[in-house]
Amino acid sequence: MAHDDRARTGRDTREEAAARAGIAVRPEEFRHQRDSGRRERVFELKGVDVLYSGVTAVKGVSMDIHHKDVTALIGPSGCGKSTLLRCFNRMNDLIPGAEVRGEILYHGEDLYGPAVDPVQARKLIGMVFQKPNPFPKSIYDNVAFGPRILGRKDGLDETVEKALRGAALWDEVKDRLKDNAFGLSGGQQQRLCIARCIAVQPDTILMDEPCSALDPISTGKIEDLMIELKERFSIVIVTHNMQQAARVSDRTAFLMVELDADEQNRWGRLVEYDETEKIFTNPGDKRTEDYVSGKVG
Amino acid sequence: MAESVRVYYQEELEQLEASALGGLDMVSTALDRTLEAIEQTDIELAQIVVADDDRIDGRYLEVHQSLITLLATQSPVATDLRLISALLHVLKNIERMGDQCVNVCKLIPLTGNEPPADEEMVKRILTMGRQTRTLIAQAKRAFSERDVELARDLVRQDDVVDNLNRECFHLALAIGDDADKREWAMTMLLAARAIERIGDNAVDIGEQVAFVVTGLFREFEDASHPAQ
Repeated sequence: MAHDDRARTGRDTREEAAARAGIAVRPEEFRHQRDSGRRERVFELKGVDVLYSGVTAVKGVSMDIHHKDVTALIGPSGCGKSTLLRCFNRMNDLIPGAEVRGEILYHGEDLYGPAVDPVQARKLIGMVFQKPNPFPKSIYDNVAFGPRILGRKDGLDETVEKALRGAALWDEVKDRLKDNAFGLSGGQQQRLCIARCIAVQPDTILMDEPCSALDPISTGKIEDLMIELKERFSIVIVTHNMQQAARVSDRTAFLMVELDADEQNRWGRLVEYDETEKIFTNPGDKRTEDYVSGKVG
Repeated sequence: MAESVRVYYQEELEQLEASALGGLDMVSTALDRTLEAIEQTDIELAQIVVADDDRIDGRYLEVHQSLITLLATQSPVATDLRLISALLHVLKNIERMGDQCVNVCKLIPLTGNEPPADEEMVKRILTMGRQTRTLIAQAKRAFSERDVELARDLVRQDDVVDNLNRECFHLALAIGDDADKREWAMTMLLAARAIERIGDNAVDIGEQVAFVVTGLFREFEDASHPAQ
């Protein structure tokens, strides 16, 4: 599918408004655009539709996810954020009746091509879920689980330590690695899940509302962690917390629910996708403005 | 997505905008009194303007604090954020305008009880003041209606004030060698300059209108690059 259904960036609207006011736009005012277009793309979505048992859940999404960016997906309930996120590592394959149409390229290769093994893809594209879901095992075994499955048993202690340090959890658990993971607090469990995810050395981490079950302190730790993790990984996060999207993400995609003429069918549609700074200071689409301002629910 | 939410927040923001822009009405009143005090050499009226400036300062403090609270508690973004940023600037402009009226009124006792040394200069200063009053009203309307064209027109209106200010300067130069007259002329020049600054503040408010509407801040006229 062609790119002409790509969500508007809002840039034109801003420039048009400036032109109407007789104001010439200066390059420094598009600081946030400085390297878009030249950045390495991890994912390229072209006209992606997602259907569940033939019913459209997400329609016509075209967007690029850039390397080592935190990309936030925001929007009201039912707009397809999590559905879209699950497309990035073929998690929708596990749902009976789910179908992905259009094209999703991962580092230029068709993610849904016949040669791609979804399990292999998920090693490179890890996922952290809304509710912390450690295995009923020790802290150590949780982190070591992935590397063991992959046969990477040499230097396992180092791998576990590195992953726990990477998830900013090492100092808190280094003296009780053999304790059951369920003994950790919710925030620690979520960071353990992040450690488990990065222990298999993915290049992208998908996060589906990773802080929704956490208190503000734990949320702050995860957010700090995301900023550290993006030095090494690309991150895509679904969040209901718009301030969280504003705080941690480099780019933000806003999706909303669209209804057909009879208002019988609804699906998610990408409305605007741009640098986070732009989305939260001067969005190009009125619907984005109303949503991020909390004027409509 | 049709249901409106955060109604109280929106109402509060609207009220704060109205309250901030209401400060411009207070400045207009102060300017009217200032002009009358100049025309009549009315020292008592001038003292009232000086004392009444506390009300303008009070409005500044009240709205400023409320806007900071709104920033802290409501996390405004997009147009709301630009509006609040602009209102913080506009409040400062209003406070400065009020101070300039005070500056003029403090000069009035220094002009003495003699008739004006140059009626033409007084006439021009009063014309400047009335023109500046028009600018203030236009700035308020431009902001309320988010009218960038009207805001840009403030520059043209302000040129009238600037030209009158220059004329005052030339009249002062030509006033002759009499020491008392020269002192009067210098004092009145300071008053003209203060009124001219009120006009500049009105133009600054216009620039904030363009920022709220377009998201781009730009000086309508750049003193360091007058040709642009």
